Amino acid sequence: MEQPKTLVDIRSLKKYFPITRGIVFSRKIGDIRAVDGISFKIFEGETLGLVGESGSGKTTVGRTLLRLQEPTDGEIIVRGEDFLRVGGSRLKKMRRSMQMIFQDPHASLNPRMRVEDIVGEPLRIQGGLSGKDVRRRVAKLLELVGLTTETMERYPHEFSGGQRQRIGIARALALNPSLIVCDEAIASLDVSIQAQIVNLLEELQDRLGLTYLFIAHDLSMVRHISDRIAVMYLGKMMELANRDEIYNAPLHPYTRALISAVPVPDPDVEATRQRIVLEGDIPSPASPPKGCVFSTRCPMAKDKCFSLVPEYREARPGHYVACHFA
Amino acid sequence: MPDLLEIENLRISFQKGSVVNDVSYSVRQGEIVGIVGESGSGKSMHALSIMRLLPTGGRINGGAIRFRGKNLLGLESEEMRQVRGRQIAMIFQDPISSLNPVYSVGFQLTEMLRRHLGMGRVQAIARAAELLTLVGIPDARQRLNNYPHQMSGGMRQRVMIAMSIACNPDLIIADEPTTALDVTIQAQIIELIKRLRREFNLTVIWISHDLGVIAGLAETVNVMYAGHIVERGPVHAIYKNPHHPYTVGLLGSMPRLDQRTNEKLVSIPGRPPEVINLPGCVFAPRCLHADQKCRAEMPPVTQLDVAHQVRCWHWSRVAAGN
Repeated sequence: MEQPKTLVDIRSLKKYFPITRGIVFSRKIGDIRAVDGISFKIFEGETLGLVGESGSGKTTVGRTLLRLQEPTDGEIIVRGEDFLRVGGSRLKKMRRSMQMIFQDPHASLNPRMRVEDIVGEPLRIQGGLSGKDVRRRVAKLLELVGLTTETMERYPHEFSGGQRQRIGIARALALNPSLIVCDEAIASLDVSIQAQIVNLLEELQDRLGLTYLFIAHDLSMVRHISDRIAVMYLGKMMELANRDEIYNAPLHPYTRALISAVPVPDPDVEATRQRIVLEGDIPSPASPPKGCVFSTRCPMAKDKCFSLVPEYREARPGHYVACHFA
Repeated sequence: MPDLLEIENLRISFQKGSVVNDVSYSVRQGEIVGIVGESGSGKSMHALSIMRLLPTGGRINGGAIRFRGKNLLGLESEEMRQVRGRQIAMIFQDPISSLNPVYSVGFQLTEMLRRHLGMGRVQAIARAAELLTLVGIPDARQRLNNYPHQMSGGMRQRVMIAMSIACNPDLIIADEPTTALDVTIQAQIIELIKRLRREFNLTVIWISHDLGVIAGLAETVNVMYAGHIVERGPVHAIYKNPHHPYTVGLLGSMPRLDQRTNEKLVSIPGRPPEVINLPGCVFAPRCLHADQKCRAEMPPVTQLDVAHQVRCWHWSRVAAGN
């Protein structure tokens, strides 16, 4: 097997949101550590699944990766170039190759724009196309995502959730990106529609050679679509490995608990399986626990876990984990 | 002995069209009945109609809802108030919008204990603390003073469950109670319901879009599509031997965590209708087996065995294809 090429290399990425008090003389009293020093690589042509519960920082990773939010610290290297150091026209150019599909297709499409303008906007601003060229390209894009060209004249409210998500995908594809960040792109859709969209995403990946960062909380779907899977908890990376290894031989107790919590649509399996039920809730990222962030809920936690932050290391080739006892 | 709840040919419509059509099923004492369906299938609407809490504009056009042999649709509103919360309780999807933000959870819990059961203040507070402990909330006494916003999503749902069991109701209707929660919290809530059920012999109607959750909880499953129950049967029959193309499609479109195939998901083409006004089988426009007959006439209920029913003209062909 040849060595996969790295598309994006993320090194100790941090994003803190300040907590302030006072209105006129506001002062900073602390930080919400949404993303707290995580490192990983995204390979060319792969789908990297990023899972975690709400508050784990997975969405913030996606947003800082595209510089929709400026990270507090860290490096993002895209094809050998430092994405955080560029500006002006170079930044604009680099942004073309990285796009996003959002969770809520109701909120992410402007209700007062027609489909043609929504999908065509990036072409006008970034692609330098105009008039008929835009129309022609939009028609092609709509066809690619399974919509008819008549839909161009219509407004977002005339479409169902699944169709709207297709419009969002067409817009993301407009500039021939190499990386698409799918932030919970199917979470708001019905089960039968989810399968349609996932199939479409896989088809597009085969045809266009896309790389996906697939952010989701639905582990079954992530297992289906991803090549490798990263598990986040409270702003930290817990484990990263290829998808079968994550499911068959998880090293981190959090990953194990997460997998055991997912219900399986099979009454026989459900009747016999042993569930690891975690106690309590995910702590606040404003005051994360000392030591390992998972220590407060970990069934295996020892003294060491409450004082010492475990190192994020490569336990086996290609299998990274942050746990003292893995 | 009659079943605890019997729903017969229930029909509900709004101005734009009908949303529940000809729904009939029954719930035995001590049973967990799962109702699976996508948005717009009428699963929530029919549940609200059991409580007679349909939103404005919704009308019950026919049928009967018999609870312990008594038709709820014929009750005066004062009589119905005695049923709600006391005999039938409901847990909603979103605990933040079903709890009152300006009252402490203790107040909200004791209010119903005092109203429905006539408890005094001190007794109600003691019982409320007991209930919170029962649903796994530590420091129950202190927690009674908390307002809903001071609790996490999982905690709030526990409070909702505590409220639902407060008056020892005969039936609990849970409408997507874990959908808004994270998986690890969902697992906690499911384990809690299982435990409470063992301890108190609860009868539950559990509504969900997640086939996985239903597989682990329910004994009987109703699959709803566009206002109809298209298939109904014991959990094992529904998952292992489905006879309706919609059930087959739903199971195929959910990837399983414990198995990984490189095949594409079986998706159901098209999307659910918003209102049902067309003649013929409601699923025909999306069905691979649909023919002339399906487009002309809604299939009747076919009784496959004692408990397993399906509404499809071609059920034998569908079952053979699995």
